[in-house]
Amino acid sequence: MSPLTSPRLVLELAPDQAFLPTAAAAAENAAQVFGLDRQGSLRLALAVEEYYTYLCRFAGREEPIRLTLTQGGTFVRASFRFRAGEVSLRALNFAAGVDMNADDGTEDELGLLVASRTTDRSSLELSGADVYQLCAEVDRSYPVGEPVASPQHLTAPFRLEETPNAGLLQHSALLAAGRYPARLCPRCFHRPGRFADMVASNQYRVLAALDSAGRPAGLLCWRASGRRGVVFSGPYVFTDAADAALGAETARLLTERFLSLVARTEAICAFSERPTEDLPKGWFEKLGTLLLPERDDSGHLSFTEQPAFFRHLREDVGGAVWAHPDLFPFLQREYDALAFSRDLLAAAAPAQSQLPAHSLLATSLDRMRGLVVLKPLLDGRDFSANLGAHIRALEQSEGDEAPAILLHLDLSEPWQGALYPALAENGFEPRLILPHGGNSDILVCQHVHADR
Amino acid sequence: MPIAELVPEYIRSFEAYVPSCPDPELMRLYGVDHLHRLNNNENALGPPPAARKVIQDFEAQRSAIYPSGDSFFLRKTLAERFGKDPNRFLVGNGSCEVIASVIKAFCEKGDNIITADKTFAVYEWVAEFSGFQARLIPLVNYGYDPEGMLAAMDHRTKILFVCNPNNPTGTWWDRDTMERFLRRVDGRAIVVIDEAYREYVDDERFPDGMELMERHPNVVVFRTFSKMYALAGLRVGYVCGQREVVEYIRRTHIVYSVNGVGQPAAAAALLDDAEHIAATRRMVAEAKDLLLPAFDAMGLKHVSGAGNFVMVETPVSDSLVYRQLMRRGVMVRTMTGFRFPNWIRVSLVQQPVMRDFLTAFREVIETARARA
Repeated sequence: MSPLTSPRLVLELAPDQAFLPTAAAAAENAAQVFGLDRQGSLRLALAVEEYYTYLCRFAGREEPIRLTLTQGGTFVRASFRFRAGEVSLRALNFAAGVDMNADDGTEDELGLLVASRTTDRSSLELSGADVYQLCAEVDRSYPVGEPVASPQHLTAPFRLEETPNAGLLQHSALLAAGRYPARLCPRCFHRPGRFADMVASNQYRVLAALDSAGRPAGLLCWRASGRRGVVFSGPYVFTDAADAALGAETARLLTERFLSLVARTEAICAFSERPTEDLPKGWFEKLGTLLLPERDDSGHLSFTEQPAFFRHLREDVGGAVWAHPDLFPFLQREYDALAFSRDLLAAAAPAQSQLPAHSLLATSLDRMRGLVVLKPLLDGRDFSANLGAHIRALEQSEGDEAPAILLHLDLSEPWQGALYPALAENGFEPRLILPHGGNSDILVCQHVHADR
Repeated sequence: MPIAELVPEYIRSFEAYVPSCPDPELMRLYGVDHLHRLNNNENALGPPPAARKVIQDFEAQRSAIYPSGDSFFLRKTLAERFGKDPNRFLVGNGSCEVIASVIKAFCEKGDNIITADKTFAVYEWVAEFSGFQARLIPLVNYGYDPEGMLAAMDHRTKILFVCNPNNPTGTWWDRDTMERFLRRVDGRAIVVIDEAYREYVDDERFPDGMELMERHPNVVVFRTFSKMYALAGLRVGYVCGQREVVEYIRRTHIVYSVNGVGQPAAAAALLDDAEHIAATRRMVAEAKDLLLPAFDAMGLKHVSGAGNFVMVETPVSDSLVYRQLMRRGVMVRTMTGFRFPNWIRVSLVQQPVMRDFLTAFREVIETARARA
């Protein structure tokens, strides 16, 4: 289901606290209509209350705030679109009010942090010049399924099904969950009803392999990531371990058809999200590794190095990227290894006097995956302090389950390229490049915990 | 209102084609002092002599004057060449333009077109960005599947596109296959036979669309001057069919789209093409004699039929092979976009360039295998 055609409720509200009950009631009502249970509806309503209160103080006054409540298939999203106007954007930082020695009464500024705690995912994005989108998502509840680990005796020839029914999807998800470690399976594989609904609402696209008798033999799923990318999980193969050749052939079939299906779409690159050992050798290029959280069967969270793979779906047309000279050795090494042709342009930090006082970072927090992605939206004299405040706030807010913290620099933006020294000061290391991951390439940096 | 909400869904979901950079920019980017263009199936011999002379003699002052809006003299030459009425020809800015004209002429909301999944992409693209469904039938043994195409037809099917020979596999339907197919279509839809590479086929079993359309009035033939006639830079292609069919297509066709050099050059190309075609076929055959055994020796699967190209399977991503070859001054076509991931297509040209390609290709493949 396209975001533009999903069932939705849209309100345009003047930034006035008098409309707070309207916004909250609309959120609660829409959440119930769109399938959340009582608790989920209240969680979303609380987030909307907090966000709206916040925006009444900080959004521009010249045009209304647009609140869109959307049925996303397996979740309900509340999205605020607003113009920043002339007010300070500092308050929109996830970490605002937690630190930064604010002296202007920051008690209320805990709102964003509080609101994000009631949601499953939250994000802030720049969606046009001076226009921002603040989103909160709450998931519907689904029962947990029992993974299926029993061996399967499958018979060739296999065929691929591009539109498997819900029953096949659910069974395939449980087969994958029974055969692969948790870190290699989307969490929805353990709630197979959720997985089937995610496919029905186009959050995931899938390919299922079936044997000659119509039994599930494999699975590969993918989803859009940004405008120009897809990320995939799999391939998952359900053949007996003894029949390695059949398994390899299943993986090849799934991978080849997957690439054929995305090849003539708007995607330029395919990236791995949860690549299994069955990924055919030579079909993807290794970008590097990230240190990502993994929960074992007992629920214990640990961090492991996980490879990231990529494949270009087009012929690369070259390009230029901006970066601080300190990054040049890393970028040259990576681009050379990938045989990518890029002009490296030196991005100089602007004079402090030319910068606004406050910077702004977008924060996407996926609590389920234990993953945070930070993106700089606005530069400011306090960037380094602001980044440090975010790290502390995220680590404190998540307690014992401190998430992996990644920061994406869009190398098409000179000012972002110039930020690298502040990242290094705050314990970030460059890990890998996502070719065409943004307007041009994205540099992924990871915060390095002292104890990992 | 967000601009995206003003845009039809079929446009939002459609990806614009991004052409590659000009050669000098590519050479600068990849740090090479030469670039062998083996990506677009251009004829490296250049245009036939008469066409070459027309281009050389073109006076700059004539650029100030609009060309013939409907390629009057070129259509007359085509009519004489094929023994048909000039009004049965429409000339376009390459065959891509006439593909759009045909789809616009026959399709309306809810209609569909049928073609293969792994073929020239423009039929599918134009249908989809025009809001029509493209039903894509998997190739069988690298060739179009007539049974699959017939089975996919319904009462909203308006056009069946058959690329004969197929780009990029070079497979083709013989006369019997084509005739059987047309009989079973039985006039229910337009059948476009795209013969962009027909001049590369030297086999009496190859069907002639110009002759078929006389017995099957729903047949429309596309041909181009971009391939065998080496006029790709001037962009001239044409469509031929029964007069009634062409009259409908004319209503949707852009006029004045074919430039003033291209029209006379294309007409001249038809006048002395025999030796040019023979020389080109020799060049292609010699290139195949060099490349195919080399691919066999490297243990790589390859597919080559009719046409001035060959496909070869690579043990690593085709886009990686592309980038590595570009660093060695060789540009090929990646095949992921044709739904052949891990294959590249190589244009067949003169021996020295083919040898350069082989040297670079061996290096790239050996390096990739060593790293695996």
